[in-house]
Amino acid sequence: MARKMLKDEEMAVAADDGGSYDYDLFVIGAGSGGVRGSRTSASFGAKVAICELPFHPISSDWQGGHGGTCVIRGCVPKKILVYGASFRGEFEDSKNFGWEINGDINFNWKKLLENKTQEIVRLNGVYQRILGNSGVTMIEGAGSLVDAHTVEVTKPDGSKQRYTAKHILIATGSRAQRVNIPGKELAITSDEALSLEELPKRAVILGGGYIAVEFASIWKGMGAQVDLFYRKELPLRGFDDEMRTVVASNLEGRGIRLHPGTNLSELSKTADGIKVVTDKGEEIIADVVLFATGRTPNSQRLNLEAAGVEVDNVGAIKVDEYSRTSVPNIWAVGDVTNRINLTPVALMEATCFSKTVFGGQPTKPDYRDVPCAVFSIPPLSVVGLSEQQALEEAKSDVLVYTSSFNPMKNSISKRQEKTIMKLVVDSETDRVLGASMCGPDAPEIIQGMAVALKCGATKATFDSTVGIHPSAAEEFVTMRTLTRRVSAASKPKTNL
Amino acid sequence: MRASRVAASLYGARAAVCEMPFATVASDSLGGVGGTCVLRGCVPKKLLVYASKYSHEFEESRGFGWTYDTDPKHDWSTLMTNKNLELKRLVRVQTNMLKNSGVTIIEGRGKVVDPHTVSVDGKLYTAKNILIAVGGRPSMPDIPGIEHVIDSDAALDLTSRPEKIAVVGGGYIALEFAGIFNGLKSGVHVFIRQKKVLRGFYEEVRDFVADQMSLRGITFHTEETPQAVTKSDDGLLTLKTNKGSINGFSHVMFATGRKPNTKNLGLEEVGVKMDKHGAIVVDEFSRTSVDSIWAVGDVTNRVNLTPVALMEGGALVKTIFGNEPTKPDHSAVPSAVFSQPPIGQVGLTEEKAIEKYGDVDIYTSNFRPLRATLSGLPDRVYMKVIVCANTDKVIGVHMCGEDAPEIIQGIAIAVKAGLRKQNFDATVGVHPITAEELVTMRNPTRKVRRDAADKAKMKDEATSQKLEASAFTYALVSSFIFVVIVAGVKVMCRKIRAFRSHQISQATRIIIVCKGGLFGDSTTRVHHCSVVSQSSHIFIYNSVLVHH
Repeated sequence: MARKMLKDEEMAVAADDGGSYDYDLFVIGAGSGGVRGSRTSASFGAKVAICELPFHPISSDWQGGHGGTCVIRGCVPKKILVYGASFRGEFEDSKNFGWEINGDINFNWKKLLENKTQEIVRLNGVYQRILGNSGVTMIEGAGSLVDAHTVEVTKPDGSKQRYTAKHILIATGSRAQRVNIPGKELAITSDEALSLEELPKRAVILGGGYIAVEFASIWKGMGAQVDLFYRKELPLRGFDDEMRTVVASNLEGRGIRLHPGTNLSELSKTADGIKVVTDKGEEIIADVVLFATGRTPNSQRLNLEAAGVEVDNVGAIKVDEYSRTSVPNIWAVGDVTNRINLTPVALMEATCFSKTVFGGQPTKPDYRDVPCAVFSIPPLSVVGLSEQQALEEAKSDVLVYTSSFNPMKNSISKRQEKTIMKLVVDSETDRVLGASMCGPDAPEIIQGMAVALKCGATKATFDSTVGIHPSAAEEFVTMRTLTRRVSAASKPKTNL
Repeated sequence: MRASRVAASLYGARAAVCEMPFATVASDSLGGVGGTCVLRGCVPKKLLVYASKYSHEFEESRGFGWTYDTDPKHDWSTLMTNKNLELKRLVRVQTNMLKNSGVTIIEGRGKVVDPHTVSVDGKLYTAKNILIAVGGRPSMPDIPGIEHVIDSDAALDLTSRPEKIAVVGGGYIALEFAGIFNGLKSGVHVFIRQKKVLRGFYEEVRDFVADQMSLRGITFHTEETPQAVTKSDDGLLTLKTNKGSINGFSHVMFATGRKPNTKNLGLEEVGVKMDKHGAIVVDEFSRTSVDSIWAVGDVTNRVNLTPVALMEGGALVKTIFGNEPTKPDHSAVPSAVFSQPPIGQVGLTEEKAIEKYGDVDIYTSNFRPLRATLSGLPDRVYMKVIVCANTDKVIGVHMCGEDAPEIIQGIAIAVKAGLRKQNFDATVGVHPITAEELVTMRNPTRKVRRDAADKAKMKDEATSQKLEASAFTYALVSSFIFVVIVAGVKVMCRKIRAFRSHQISQATRIIIVCKGGLFGDSTTRVHHCSVVSQSSHIFIYNSVLVHH
């Protein structure tokens, strides 16, 4: 059915003289998904306009910037800070390799911040240039719907202008949310955390997701005392339980204080800093309290009701497999749809959208074997199914291969931190269902594993691949001994 | 080790292995359980690479806000002590692994006496099968003053940091040591006989890695062949080459290849055949010319890598004891060079790919990684994917840049699983990392076509002629250089046929200028074709072998 509709749509595009609308496509939001969607649509010959808020490192209803969360307030600045923070571990490790650093090593947060801002300003410019070169019209301001074919843009000076378009693509992303506890205004979100004036000496983080874990590693590496609070027994819900355990013990090993099963109940200002009270009655004084408690889709100010675009109970825009909303000519990609909230997934969705609508090739994004990474120190990276997911989906037994080893570098540095790797294999087909790793270079290593999984690699394929010696990754092709065989019938229940 | 362990533990064979006593530098009477890889190769080398990389990291850290009251200094003896402690631990580990598998360990030097008898320091042992896995050893040319020169064994275990070192050789060992010494603050000069480092590697990678290493402070001397080494009264060394002399070296290291360790093993007497390099000749199952004698690893000089020796050993045991004749598969073996930055690769080079497949699409990317934009250092990453144009199969992936070996391992699995370019494209990236670039290469940098001329034939002859007359010119600049200026690939190929009269020889350099950067031909089969340099529309191909 959907396919047929699209065919009709396609013919309509061809038949349309283009004169009845200002644009073939109007895109709201110039983040990863919006920029990709407008560029690729323009390359298919569509006349495209895109609106985006003025640039600012911290987002609000009136501020944003070309590049979006990923470039300005997410992946890129975060990774820069992770790089910065990783050096502390390197300095420690270098000693047994013969390096002597006499005197102090100092970390200048302001300098890193300055260099980081310079880089994201550069990238912001790059994104604008990319759009300009693709022939996309850029409009500054906040876009909202008037009807199914009309977008009203409120410019920074307050003036409003309306544009009509045959298709509208919503790619407004998401924003960090705060929990509702007394004193919540004293806390910051990841936006502010990436642009703090001063580096905190004592940081409290609430949340067990990847953002919480990453900031814990960043601040610890930069020399702060870090307390991490989360509701579950382990951080990183949704990831493989075994890997979650490893991440937790690595964070602890690097000096982060973990408070599992604990929530914050109140924040208040004191002369010494922010007083944090937990639901267990503990009190801690902190310079900074970070809420890393999830993100909500940016769908509130779009006036979606005017066109009849439906959202779900968390405010995410409902879409079909082609990213089409409940209104046939309005589409949505990226975090605002709350599918898999990752930059490369938004890129994939946007590319599929353009192919579907303007390329004459209806294309669904493929959500199988999407790899992802948590840039904790050391990082975690996974692709495919976790052991728990594999058991849920499995028709036959699941074979689990694990390896926990001391990375070669640690044999000299004497750092007590194991690297762990895991393969989950279907016992009947021999297909590798999932690969995960926690240890140095895990994200770089898992990318190739993701390619292998897309090729349908079996455990036999892994075994027949010659290793690159000496590397950490070669362990993935030398896991010969089965760690355990888990019967599909005996699904263990956990309350992690 | 692999063969004896598996034979004993998995198949219950009564296995014995002989090895010489441990020493960091190998000789005719010293070696150690673990072999070259663990004691004088991969492992100590990688440990020194780790140690030497820190100086680059200290520099990088400045761009990330770190400052030092005093510059970090390196203490050589701490490193050597810790490295040797680790090596001794590994010898113990390896020895225990053998013992626990039920393998009898005999210390001493083995020599084959007859097809079923080995003598270890005079004592005779009989066996149904004999496996020779004695590896290789550094070889150096016989030039005056060679006694002043160190090899890689010695370079891994120097008592003090070289002030200024000459590294002679352009292979992976030379580049790895150049990086190590440079990182540990020695002055490093690399002397290579060829124009470029890493013969046999993909051309653009050869240029790229040399550029990056130069930027980190290494001096390259190309097309210089060593002729003599002399020692002056102050103890410093002078290296004399065909181009002149450079003095003031505290050390001169030769990384000029390795030779199979087949001397004095009794092989000639028993009738085990060897090739002209002294490598034992084996069949696909690693069997020598004597039925009961087998050989694996560097001594057979096939693909000289530890994991390949492991594979050969594993296959051999299956063949002999498992009743499953198994050939080691030497295709798509990935490998790495731990230079700084390192190289990782799997599959064919572009030159070999064109030779084998004719029509290939080349995807390249040369970029500044995020880390370098912050550190302000000139570090870059180079990546290349070679795709068979007719089948979409990925036939080679090459990379030079941080983490290349770790990144390529997974790609090697994918290649074994039949990787197509469409699989690369369908894979979602991990963001933001270096490796994601491999799955986001959408447009080929160039297409190489063997049959472009055939297709051109089908086109209207008149149109072609018109193009021929107007759109390009060519000239024989000298007997070695052709300049071809073309508007499109089809006419270009027709023109190359016309060049026959000018006798394109192996040494001819063809400079091709064309709009889309397309290159191909059919009647003259290009056998070896490599890009020496490239600007927007100009490709310069070197050493084109043309078959008429």
